[in-house]
Amino acid sequence: MSTAHFKVFSILFGVTYMAMFFYSERTAGQALFRYYPALGGFYRESQPMETAGPPILWYSWLAGAFVASVVLSLIVPRSWAERMPDSWVWIVGTAMLIAILVYERRWFY
Amino acid sequence: MIQLMLIVHGVLAVFLLGAITHQAFAVARVRPTAPAQTVVDRFRGVHSPAFTNAIVLLFCLTFVLGGLLYPRYRIDVRPMLEDMQLRAANGMFESKEHFAAVGLGLLPAYWLFWRLPLRREYTDSRKYVTWILAFVVWWNFLVGEVLNNIRGLFP
Repeated sequence: MSTAHFKVFSILFGVTYMAMFFYSERTAGQALFRYYPALGGFYRESQPMETAGPPILWYSWLAGAFVASVVLSLIVPRSWAERMPDSWVWIVGTAMLIAILVYERRWFY
Repeated sequence: MIQLMLIVHGVLAVFLLGAITHQAFAVARVRPTAPAQTVVDRFRGVHSPAFTNAIVLLFCLTFVLGGLLYPRYRIDVRPMLEDMQLRAANGMFESKEHFAAVGLGLLPAYWLFWRLPLRREYTDSRKYVTWILAFVVWWNFLVGEVLNNIRGLFP
């Protein structure tokens, strides 16, 4: 991986993280895995709320975004990565922050 | 133990806040011509590339500690916020976790843009990515402080 791939990783990480978050939101909590703080463990399957308490999906979104971004960054040829405009990093980053603010405004009504 | 982690998380966040704010102000300076006269000039007149590795390290450490504190928040704090009908506070925390993730993902490109010798073609991206990270760090710091003191703020 060349340093030019860092740009690709940064662009992909935010996008894949948000994609996984929205997927979980739209599918009532589907995720690669869940962490149950009350049980102190990671589980692939959803556990009963009465005994397991609320799950944390955030770790799953982070891990999924990291793995997907690393793999996709490695697939992108170095010449493509070097030609990719560096402005995409902050444009996509800003777009992700705006998407978060727009989506999370639901908590303020 | 959890209290110690929370304090260290807060202290690291303060260091990070100072470093990224220095750099965000410094990168906004178009062209340093005259010697720094005012406090603001001196604040902006730092050798900003020197902060880069420290910012990356502090962001990662603060992030990891925040991640370790999260389960306790989910069990103890969030139900309390729901009992107190503080939906907005829950929403602020949700935005904090997402902003932190986006900021973490930007770090490799941020490091690349600030790598010495500074490359002229990265000037704009260096500035905007630094400002994005500064916004994320400030937002998350303020949200964290509000949530940490919420029982006092909303008795």
